[in-house]
Order: sequence, then C-alpha cells, then structure tokens
Amino acid sequence: MAKVDFTETSVSGDLNFDTFGCNVYDGSPSTPDRRRPDRRFERQGAKGIKVNMGRGEELEFWTFKDRKSGRTTFPAPMMRATAGEIIHINLKANKNTHTIHMHGIEPTPFNDGVGHTSFEVGGEYTYQFQANRPGTYFYHCHKNTVLHFEMGMYGLLIIDPSGGPGRLFEEGPAYDVEAFWVVDDVDPRYRGINHSAGLCGEDAQLNIFKPKHFMVTGIPSRRTKRNRKVKISARVGQTILARFVNASYSRVRTTVYGLTTEIVGIDSRQLGGRHRPWCSPMLLEPGESFDTVTAQRRDLIFRPTEPGRYKVVFEFRDWITGEIQDGGRGIAETVIEVTP
Amino acid sequence: MSLAYKDLESGKIRPVLKVQEGETVEIFLENRTRLPVGFQLSGVERATIRTIRPDQTDHVTFDAPSGGTFIYSDPHEAPVHRVLGLHGVMVSVPRTPDTALGVPTPYSRHEQSLKLQKFFEALGNSVALPGAWDPHDPERQKIWVFNTIDSRFNRRLEAGTQIRREEFMSTFTPDYFTLNGLSGYDAAHDYNTVPKGYLGQPCLIRNVNVGMATHGPHIHGNHVFCLSESGGNAPSQPRDNIVELDTWLMSPMDRKDLLLPFCKPPDIPENAWPPRQEPFPFKYPMHCHIEMSQTAAGGNYPQGLVTDWQMLGPYIPNDL
Repeated sequence: MAKVDFTETSVSGDLNFDTFGCNVYDGSPSTPDRRRPDRRFERQGAKGIKVNMGRGEELEFWTFKDRKSGRTTFPAPMMRATAGEIIHINLKANKNTHTIHMHGIEPTPFNDGVGHTSFEVGGEYTYQFQANRPGTYFYHCHKNTVLHFEMGMYGLLIIDPSGGPGRLFEEGPAYDVEAFWVVDDVDPRYRGINHSAGLCGEDAQLNIFKPKHFMVTGIPSRRTKRNRKVKISARVGQTILARFVNASYSRVRTTVYGLTTEIVGIDSRQLGGRHRPWCSPMLLEPGESFDTVTAQRRDLIFRPTEPGRYKVVFEFRDWITGEIQDGGRGIAETVIEVTP
Repeated sequence: MSLAYKDLESGKIRPVLKVQEGETVEIFLENRTRLPVGFQLSGVERATIRTIRPDQTDHVTFDAPSGGTFIYSDPHEAPVHRVLGLHGVMVSVPRTPDTALGVPTPYSRHEQSLKLQKFFEALGNSVALPGAWDPHDPERQKIWVFNTIDSRFNRRLEAGTQIRREEFMSTFTPDYFTLNGLSGYDAAHDYNTVPKGYLGQPCLIRNVNVGMATHGPHIHGNHVFCLSESGGNAPSQPRDNIVELDTWLMSPMDRKDLLLPFCKPPDIPENAWPPRQEPFPFKYPMHCHIEMSQTAAGGNYPQGLVTDWQMLGPYIPNDL
C-alpha cells in the first residue's frame, strides 16, 4: 500500500476555526487501506452546463462530468453498482477544489468527502467503499455545500442487490418499471455567486433562498407532466418502483392520487424483512401525502390494477413559513400512465 | 443578546430538567427580565405558568410524565421568546424501562411497542447492532437543541424595543443557526454535543427543535434508528415502527429520540477492516442538509448547524 500522509488533512492536521471553514485542507493524497476495485467510476467537477428552463431562459448549472463516457448532464451521470462490489470513484477537480460525498454510503472519514473531517480534492483523489447495502443513494459535492449542491453538483447512485436491477433489495420487492423522481428547486440569484463565496467572512446572503424554478430529475416543471424522464408509463399488473430523492432546499409534500403508495425503503434501508422485525413498510392511501426534507429518499412501489392517468403532485414549501414557494407557484406535477 | 431560563441554585443557563416518571415536580419561576414571561412544558398541559410580570414569581406542581423528551419554553407571544432563548429540555426517566426480557429502554413498559422492544432486545446481537444501550452511562446520552437566530430581533431585544409576534412571524430571516446554542467549530468541539464512543457503545440522542425553521439533519458514518417522535404539545410517544434514517425531518417544536448504533460504518470494505492506515478516532459530521442553515452571517460555510460524532476505536478497550 502506498504511504498516506495524513498531516496535511483534518485527520491528523491541526484543526482550528480557520481549517474548519475558511482554509480547509486540500490536496491529492493516496487512498488509505486501498484494495483492488470491482468497479471504477471517473468524474470531473465542476463542469458548467446550460439548462433550458423554458420561455427563452437558460440557467447555468454546475455538475460532474463522466470522464469515461464524456457525458455531462444535470443531474450528473448516474452511478450504478452491485452490492458487495468494492467501488472506486476517481474525482479530478476542474480548477479550484471539490469533493464527492456519497450520501447514505458510510465509508471511512477519508472517503466521506467532507473537508473539515478529511480534505477537499485539489488535484485528484480516488474514493473507496464497498456498497454493502442495496438501495437509493446519491452523490454530491460537499464543499461550500449550500452553493455547490444548489448549483447542481449531484447525481444518483444506485446499488442493486446481487441479482442486479429488477429487485430493490435482496428480499425484494421485484419491479417491472423503474423511475427516478429527483425533485429540486432553483434560485437564479445563486448563479451569479463565486464558488468560494462567503467562505472567509463575507456576507454572500447564502442564508437566503428564494427559488423561482422547480424541477424533477433535471426537467423544469413546465414539462414534467409529459417528459419521459419523469412521467411513468406502465401496464396493468406491472409493479412500478419510483426512487424519490429530495434534492431541493424545500420541504417537499408529495401526493399520488388514485393509487396506493407503498413506502418500502427509506434512506437506502429496507423497511421490514426477516432481519428487521422492528420495522415494516408503510401504506399511503390514494391522495395521502408524505413530506420530506433535503436529501431524504423514499422507495415507492405502485401496483396499478386499473388503467388510468394518475396524478402526482410535488409541492415545494418554504423551510420557515411552510408556504408553497414562489407565491404558490412552487409546484411540479407528473402522471403515472397505466394502460391495459 | 438573548433570553434564558437560569437555574437559581446552580446558575446553569437553560438547565436540563431531569425527573423520574410519577414523582411530583415543582417549578418555581422568578421573572428577572423586563418582559412578561411564563413557562410551559410540551406534552404536559398541567405544567404551565401563565405570564407573570417583571419581578413577579409563580410556581406550578405536576406529576412527571412517562419516560421521554420534553421542551419547556415561554408560551407568551409564542414563538417569540422561545426562539430568543427562553427554552430548555426536560428528560423524564421511566419507572419501568425494561422490556419483558429485562432489556432497558428510555420508555415506560406500558408505552413500549412490540417493535421497540424487539429492537432493543436485538442490540448487541449483530454486526449492525453491535452493542447494548447503557442507560446509566452519561456518555451514552446526548441532547441536541436546534435553534435559529434572526439577529435583527436580538438587537431589538437589547435595545428594549417591543417585538410584535406578527412582525416576528412574517419577517423572520435567520442568519445564525445553532445546536445547543453553538455553531460550527464550537459545536463540533463541545463535550455536551459531540457523541463519542467505541464500536458497540450506542448513544441515545434526544433531538428538539425550538426554532422557526424546519430542519433536515443528516448524519454521516452510521444511520440512526428513530425511537420516538412527538410534535407541538403532543405527549412523548415511542414509535411503533423503528425506521433507520440518515436524514430526519425536524419541524418547529418537534422532539425525536434517535439511537446512534456505533456500528462499523457499513460501507468500509470488509477486507480493509479494521483499517491499518487510516487512524482512529473516526470523525463524522452531523449537519442540517437544508444547507442555508450551514451559514453564519450569510456565508462562512460550515459554521452553522453542524457538529461531529466520533468513533474512538473498533473495539471497547479492556481497561475502559
């Protein structure tokens, strides 16, 4: 194993008020306790991308580029792996410093992507973990997170059980149709802010967030009813899995009309099963809502028995007032379209 | 400037009130502020002192409720004084905390659900739940109080200017975010805030939100198990479904008890455990993921609502 110098990181270096926030350690250390990977991802960040918000308005997002495929998307390209695999994610910082935190994955602190407990990546670093539990995760930059996460530096991370896609957890449920609902809200003011804004004392007003755009899986709300990335199409008798992630800074109220919602997983953990007699799946009646805050995940199962167009509504609510954002316009809708 | 309840005997600010279920509790309140204030205990309607004027005193007597976590605060013009600092936590210790198999929990037997009992009885029996909870070890219990500060109102408080509830509610824009009254580096280095222990030493963390914002606390390193949740003036209520979370929702006045299992962080490669190169203690953050709360005075990330927890080692030393 290559020698690792921890002294220039928060692991062994002097941690004080300055290195906690303003001048966080950064560098390109070797991966400690490195093992041979079963799967490797390569990312570059931040990579700017323009997204058409409709009516002639384009907004800048920052994201991660998949260096293997060359793809740059918002949200960032999904990573998908199988439980038990040792995974390496190599991050190259594209100017400045960034990190990757795999939200819900629990590795060592050095591989957790948080500056004040490890370091920020100045050149490149290879994060290591073994995805031991199937589920819905996501990854994001954890530097000046209030800004970098809002700017779009996140993507899905899906860990399948040993048999691969088609089952959510080792014990099930099996699914026929898989969908991704990643809800987000966008404050255009943040687009004019420098990547290190506020870190060393200036008031960048990052305590204030007034979103004007509302998105699902990168699609602005004007198009979420029809867009195939958001709308779910299935046949009667099929089982639908919708992986829900709240990537907004709102309290999001989700309501599915006409169908029973089974919440079978929360935050990458199975509800119920033979090893967890202390918990069980939750059933929501048609029209019954559930609330989530930033970063919470819900694995939702639908088992439609009748054809129809079932409405799904996401309400983005302010974290202080509880009111729907942007004067009541903070809503995105889609449908679950079920054919015979 | 902020307001606070102070223990007249110990001098402690915002003291944690520790009571035992069923015992008679008397609260004596002396108002040394220039404002009308009172006392109210969430979930215990009887435990209320209505507003008293400056220099007045009053008291209330009540029976301590079943085991759980409670918020005491000033009901006058709520939430103004509460958010400005007139709040604290009461912990009630149950008289009969054990399950039928004799395993201790933080809740009274008659309120324990079957699933809660199964969960506590599973502690110490698996890699995921490697240790039993010790209710007698003070290191195995922490309290996290979330609050929000709009410094404009604190300056008004200092100047003696009246703060009307309607204005407070309609214009509140927080610029500081605290955990146990501290932020950022200070909260991450505070003995009363930072859970520390070895693998197999689970810690009960009592979360309360006395502020104006909804929070989404997220913990790294281990998921937590949600044992109880109560909101507003509802009684403390153990859950019937013990779900595992890495992020939880805290509305204003919510109380949630969580168990941090202190298990091996599950995604460290099995063949790299215990680590040979990366040293202990392993430090992991807990922070609110509604990231505006990670700021102070409009920037300074991450000097807001954040702390750390520490796993000191991969096994409990023999001489501990």
